[in-house]
Amino acid sequence: MSTAAAEHALGRTDAEGIAARARGLTKAYGTGETTVLALDSVDVDIARGRFTAVMGPSGSGKSTLMHCLAGLDTVSAGQVWLGDTEITGLKERELTRLRRDRIGFMFQSFNLIPTLNAIENITLPMDIAGKKPDEKWLDQVIDTLGLRDRLKHRPAQLSGGQQQRVACARALASRPELIFADEPTGNLDSRAGLEVLGFLREAVDELGQTVVMVTHDPGAAAHSDLVLFLGDGRIVDEMARPSAEAVLERMKQFDTIRGTSEDATARDQGVVLDKGAASDQGTASDQGTAPDQD
Amino acid sequence: MLKATLRSFLAHKGRLLLSALAVLLSVAFVAGSLIFSDTVTRTFDRLFASTSADVTVLPREDLDSQLPSGAVQTVDTSIEDRIARVDGVADTHVDVSVENVTVVDSDNESVGPTTGAPTIATGWYVTERSPVELTSGHEPRGPGEALIDADTADNKDVRIGDTLTVIAQPGSFKVEIVGIATFTTTNPGAALVFLDTATAQTELLGKSGVATSIAVDAEEGVSDAALKERISRAIGAETYEVETADEQAESAAAELGGFLDVIKYVMLGFAGIAVLVGVFLIVNTFSMLIAQRTRELGLLRALGADRRQVRRSVLLEAALLGLVGSTLGLATGIGLAFGLIELMGLLGMNLKSTEMVIGWATPVSAYVVGVGVTFVAAYLPARRAAGVSPMAALADAEIAGVGRPLRVRAVVGTVVGALGAAALVGCVTATETSSAASLLALGVVLTLIATVIAGPLLVRPVIRVLGGAFPALFGSVGRMSQRNALRNPRRTGATAAALMVGLALVGGMSVASASMTESFDQQIDETLGADFVIQNNNFQPFPQEITEKVDETDGVGTVVRQRFAAIAARLPNGDRVETGAAGYGDQLDEVANITYAQGDTAAALAPGNMAMDVDYAKDHDVRIGSVIPVEFPAGRQTELRVAALTDQEGGEGFGAQGAMYFGLETLERYVPGGQDSTLYVNAASGTSADTLRERLEQTLDPYPQVQVRDQADYKQLVRDQIAVLLYLVYALLGLAIVIAVLGVVNTLALSVVERTREIGLLRAIGLARRQLRRMIRLESVVIAVFGAVLGLALGLVWGVCVQQVLALQGMTALAIPWVTIVAVVVGSAIVGIVAALLPALRASRMNVLAAIAHE
Repeated sequence: MSTAAAEHALGRTDAEGIAARARGLTKAYGTGETTVLALDSVDVDIARGRFTAVMGPSGSGKSTLMHCLAGLDTVSAGQVWLGDTEITGLKERELTRLRRDRIGFMFQSFNLIPTLNAIENITLPMDIAGKKPDEKWLDQVIDTLGLRDRLKHRPAQLSGGQQQRVACARALASRPELIFADEPTGNLDSRAGLEVLGFLREAVDELGQTVVMVTHDPGAAAHSDLVLFLGDGRIVDEMARPSAEAVLERMKQFDTIRGTSEDATARDQGVVLDKGAASDQGTASDQGTAPDQD
Repeated sequence: MLKATLRSFLAHKGRLLLSALAVLLSVAFVAGSLIFSDTVTRTFDRLFASTSADVTVLPREDLDSQLPSGAVQTVDTSIEDRIARVDGVADTHVDVSVENVTVVDSDNESVGPTTGAPTIATGWYVTERSPVELTSGHEPRGPGEALIDADTADNKDVRIGDTLTVIAQPGSFKVEIVGIATFTTTNPGAALVFLDTATAQTELLGKSGVATSIAVDAEEGVSDAALKERISRAIGAETYEVETADEQAESAAAELGGFLDVIKYVMLGFAGIAVLVGVFLIVNTFSMLIAQRTRELGLLRALGADRRQVRRSVLLEAALLGLVGSTLGLATGIGLAFGLIELMGLLGMNLKSTEMVIGWATPVSAYVVGVGVTFVAAYLPARRAAGVSPMAALADAEIAGVGRPLRVRAVVGTVVGALGAAALVGCVTATETSSAASLLALGVVLTLIATVIAGPLLVRPVIRVLGGAFPALFGSVGRMSQRNALRNPRRTGATAAALMVGLALVGGMSVASASMTESFDQQIDETLGADFVIQNNNFQPFPQEITEKVDETDGVGTVVRQRFAAIAARLPNGDRVETGAAGYGDQLDEVANITYAQGDTAAALAPGNMAMDVDYAKDHDVRIGSVIPVEFPAGRQTELRVAALTDQEGGEGFGAQGAMYFGLETLERYVPGGQDSTLYVNAASGTSADTLRERLEQTLDPYPQVQVRDQADYKQLVRDQIAVLLYLVYALLGLAIVIAVLGVVNTLALSVVERTREIGLLRAIGLARRQLRRMIRLESVVIAVFGAVLGLALGLVWGVCVQQVLALQGMTALAIPWVTIVAVVVGSAIVGIVAALLPALRASRMNVLAAIAHE
């Protein structure tokens, strides 16, 4: 499959500037007749030092794409690299170490361990690895996120926005090669959401981090450098320097595309089977982003 | 609503599994013990009822003591004629049956049972009621001929033509086995040797013309009771015991019953522990299930279910659990009884498992215990469930119960604990054994309840300390496991409580038994002056012949004999006490160090005199010179003058109130035909102890019923006796631990389910499976050790109090078995690791993505 996005990414960056890369990435659920393709031979490059947003309607496979890139989920076919490391084919233990040392995560909710206070949560990946955090960097992250006076608080004593800021700090603390944020603003009110997006932007611009964010909110996507649009398990479009209005416009097309594609190719597996993926498969990726389906 | 309850029960059946197992165990022990004792009772009732004569005439047993004199009570056979003349008597027969004989083969090995059951020598007399029949050889026809029972013949490889030696009170004699008699009924486990009646009289009782009882057959149409009436009138009910077949069967069964009662009570003890520990498990399970279902319950309430319906639904679920557990428990109990019956068979008691009796009381008790316990345990959680507000359905449910204040618990725990502590202080300071014992029992129960109630309050401070090193040792994994254990103090407290109860019992018992051992050791050191003690393993008396042989042994210096007798003393304060008293040989001072408050050994042992414990004397208004009327068995009476007061620790106990003793001469005069219980032997000057020991062992080789012991052996003997108690404690501990482990597994498994998302997050950000397993394992260890520390602390306090109470009885030394205590703490950590195996495995196998997405 050769989409505009893939061509664009390939053409514009050299190997040095690529944080993560997928070739022919396919994720199928079930076997035989009932096979569901969540990702259909996706090629994608994530540029280093950039803020990339992944958008798409429910069941388009955007969360699955993130999970596969982050080594959380196994792939059915294709290859995934993090930097120079091919992660497809790595053993469970190696994947765990990779996530711990080279990737940062933010989830929509339940990001923090309730028994640990803010600073313990922030340094948790390094503690697990038995590594000393880089104090200077840590201080910079904490100050950037304005968490200095909240460090001894437990998650229950923090607001939703503060919790996401702690999660953001944790993702940044070990200076990972790549930060994945799965609907990081999904559970926040608009002000707190804006704050978190601002921090992610800052992380890219000022701290030189690489961020991939899955979202269904055009407003959130507008903070990114590049939006990748997923539909039916394929990257169907991309948009550089997006604005909320443009993204919204683009998203609206999905409804008409879906409508026409359903008419045109009544047996389009992607559509039919994607629905199956979301409802039948207990492990389907999109369940993690519940509001997506609301 | 019913449908919702059933669905919920089935949906949670995995989580209820361990609770059902706890119910099953309790019920199995209850049912097993009931079935076993019913079966045994039925079997022996039938045996004795079918083998007892219509009426039996026995010597009157007026005094009973735990310390046997060894004298055999007999009746004169001259009364047989008088009985035969009574109207309604069809036939009479002279019975001779002696229980305390020892029969050895040509290698001087005893052919008797090794289980402590007696070897019985008896006259051969066959009626249709006999429990045995001759199956090979011929009946004994005179002196030197005997039959042996088939079970003993099989077990000890005795054949017709073999020569055995029977060691009886009047002396040893050799017999040739001329036949084998086989039980037609259940063999209660004893070994039997049959002689002809005349030989039995002369060899076992020492003279002809006496019998141990006279069996009477009634004429047709004459009832046993009526005949008993007539015979009593004819021979005088004052001098003889006259019993009908039913009464005879009852007293025979009662004699056996003592041993079987022990088994029954042990089993019920196990059941009790299982119930007690099981309750915690069930309470915890239901609390957790309800906490996890808060939203669901809230939804039910929002949809219009009222509080009562919610409560009833939870209780119904509990009742279902109880029913299932009880049914399985009942089946397991039958298996348990079957196993016990087979075990008894191995020990020589041939019960038939085909004749297992399951009375109506067994299933009733099983279901009452099983359903009752579950129901009661689920009541509080059910009330809490009913209290769930409909708003809970809408709120992003914080797990219920975590944040609720523990104030009520603090107040109730403190009050009950203070009462318990007061009772324990009271029992320590009390001077009367009886009041001290009841205060002790009260204190134990109250402090246990207080600890259970206040347990959750202790979770925070204790686990902070116990797990204090975790963060340093295991990093963030250690920190998280410690905090997880602290997360829900109620849950941690209840889980640990299950372990605590068992370990508190063990702690208390081990302190008590260590103190007992230590006290006996000290007493033996202080009072025993003899080089050797010759004694039966079971402290049973032995024939005179042995004393004579020991006396004759080369190198023996002093031999002091000890005998016991049952007496009844009328004390100056008006009390009549029935107790055991001892008689000692004259040279007592050479083999024992006795401290006297007044008087001395010579005075105590002089004819017509006696000695008594000084404190006991004071309590009963006895002074030096008091004259005490004393009754001996068989109606003999005399008056003894108190000539010495002893000031000795541990003289009492073992059924010897007041530590009364007198000269052997006095005892022999009033209890003729008794046997020595103990010989204290000193070496003659010029003979080394080792040499004497060798010679004594040689002398006693033909008498396997007695052993030579020096002080160290003697201590070991006492220790072994106490160890039996300890083994029982360890068995109880084992059961308590099994159930407590179920509890820990249960809590961890449910916690893992509850924390699914958290585990998913941890795995996503890079926690390795190994680290996750370690985190759960450490949490489990800290909970288990918490329970152990709490239990042992409580047990130590109890143990010290028990020792203080028993100090009144002479258990003056306090010993704390530190090795056991450390072993138990280490063991509890291992228990924690074992309990965490499955939950940890389950957690590490979780799919990361599914876990993160878990609701």
